[in-house]
Amino acid sequence: MTLEEVKAAIAFDQPKLRAARDGPNIHVGGSYLLFENGAVAKPAGPISEFDIEIVLSNRFPRHEPKVFEVGGRIPRCADRHVNPDGDCCVTVWEHWLACATDHSFAAFLNGPANEFFLGQYWFEKTGKWPFGARPHGQKGLEEAYADALGIPNRKNDIIYHLRLLSKDWPKGHWLCPCGSGKLLRHCHRDDLIALHERIPPRIAERMLRRLKSYTR
Amino acid sequence: MTKHDRKIARTHDDVFEEIAEALDVPPSKFKEAIERYESLGTWLDRDESTLSAYNPGISPQGSFLLGTVTRPLTDTEEFDVDLVCLLKASKTEFTQKSLKAAVGHEIALYVRAHKMAKPAEEGRRCWTLHYADGAQFHMDTLPALPDEQRYQAMLKRYGYTDLANDLALSGQAIAITDNTLPQYDEVTDDWPQSNPMGYAAWFRSRMTVQLAERKRAFTKAQLVTASVDEIPDYKVRTPLQRAIQLLKRHRDCIFVDDGAHKPISIIITTLSAHAYNEELTISAALHSILTRMDQYIEYRGDVAWVANPVNPAENFADNWAEEPRKRQNFYDWLEQARHDFGLYLRASRFDAVPQELIDSLGAELVDRALKAIIPAAASPLAAPAIVKAASNNDDDVRRAEAAIDERRSAGTQSKPWAKS
Repeated sequence: MTLEEVKAAIAFDQPKLRAARDGPNIHVGGSYLLFENGAVAKPAGPISEFDIEIVLSNRFPRHEPKVFEVGGRIPRCADRHVNPDGDCCVTVWEHWLACATDHSFAAFLNGPANEFFLGQYWFEKTGKWPFGARPHGQKGLEEAYADALGIPNRKNDIIYHLRLLSKDWPKGHWLCPCGSGKLLRHCHRDDLIALHERIPPRIAERMLRRLKSYTR
Repeated sequence: MTKHDRKIARTHDDVFEEIAEALDVPPSKFKEAIERYESLGTWLDRDESTLSAYNPGISPQGSFLLGTVTRPLTDTEEFDVDLVCLLKASKTEFTQKSLKAAVGHEIALYVRAHKMAKPAEEGRRCWTLHYADGAQFHMDTLPALPDEQRYQAMLKRYGYTDLANDLALSGQAIAITDNTLPQYDEVTDDWPQSNPMGYAAWFRSRMTVQLAERKRAFTKAQLVTASVDEIPDYKVRTPLQRAIQLLKRHRDCIFVDDGAHKPISIIITTLSAHAYNEELTISAALHSILTRMDQYIEYRGDVAWVANPVNPAENFADNWAEEPRKRQNFYDWLEQARHDFGLYLRASRFDAVPQELIDSLGAELVDRALKAIIPAAASPLAAPAIVKAASNNDDDVRRAEAAIDERRSAGTQSKPWAKS
């Protein structure tokens, strides 16, 4: 991810944001415009604006960006999905990596970032989260990973799936994660291969590591 | 115009349409220009003409033909009407020099017969006819001979067989003159080539749907019974043409002090036409163009290449290598244009054009357009800020609700959580 790519992503769609290099990172700051998805222009302008800062590693999207709300508009508490330092829990990053096909910075701004701030706006008005909200901490992580894997939210199952997916090639002699007691090669091998393509080993390993960090 | 049929803007597109319309050649000047070049064509083809045996024809090329002309920045500057003067002759009958001289001779007679104040001026490739001050335009006439067979052979040599076999794109190529070339005064087959009609056909192909759509709307609005095919292209403007006019104007304002190094129109036009995807509105066209136009710059090795779509071996950006400033200026301009147009379309109400865009399109032009179609803009008492303050918060909530519904039906990508 280069500074030029970030500038190109925001110049038209988020013209009130500015990007600059900040050591090894890229710093993006200004007003984030809240818009209907896919709309180029609305006669009344944006629905709302949030003052934000984003810190991007040059290894985006492998490294999760940090998004801060800096205008003091959103209370900094877990119930508003904002940490005490203003760091917004926009999404469970690996869930987005596993489920979205476009991982560009522009896609992040138009996807999870838009949904997060649209949700915050709606919560201000109604006290409800329009797209739901995940439980805090480890439980939320497990729920997101189960969603990404397309399986019921059971921790052991999630971990077993992730261990299988962490391998360069799912081992046929392992037991199938469906619980049938059969070897994978005689059961859901094709399904798991399809899942392996969507959630490659580096993402599965990362999910495993993150789950373990909460368990410790 | 009565009080009742006055246009009132309700969207960003209405405002852009009005600004772009003001960039057009005024209809009276357009008509005058057509009359003038038709008059020149008639003169060249009259019985006494030394060229009449070659059946000379005059036709427009460039932005006048493409419908992307933009008004000069000041009233003292002139519109540039580019013409081709095509003789049905072969390169065995003329050298480049003798063709240029033959056309120049008849143009000089025309100037004298019409008592024009200034003589025709010889350029590297064309003759420039200057009209009286009130005309506000000059005509650059390019002497040319048909050359489609050599052009098609060249395309085949470079491997562009499909292009060579497409008569609409390569069947009207021409040989032109250039008085800086060593073979300028030699009988040779080796003349510079050009293909303005092929380029125009390609440009039209990038907006076929919207061109037909605009013509249908035109016949409906004008209550005429003509079929869409009978409406000339110049009667309507597509979102692509309007977007290009706005971008060229933006370019002109940004490079007002550095005209020699500004991004050239053919590059803006070509990249815009590539990026355009038959969007229905100017704002959607601008979005597509500004976010994607640079993707159509190829890199052949280290060389930036903006291929002529009807001759990909020709690089419209060929001088970027020698003058890196021109390349940098293109990318700087693109970033500025993205920001300025984005600031209006994404961040502003339709009736509150941000100062950045006003500055980069020209305050007088924007002001005139706004006053014409936004009643509040004509009154100092009703500034856009007041309109904004009065905007209904309930509308924003309704919009948010609709946006949420749309997101839900498209499938949301995320849910917020809390890391701890």
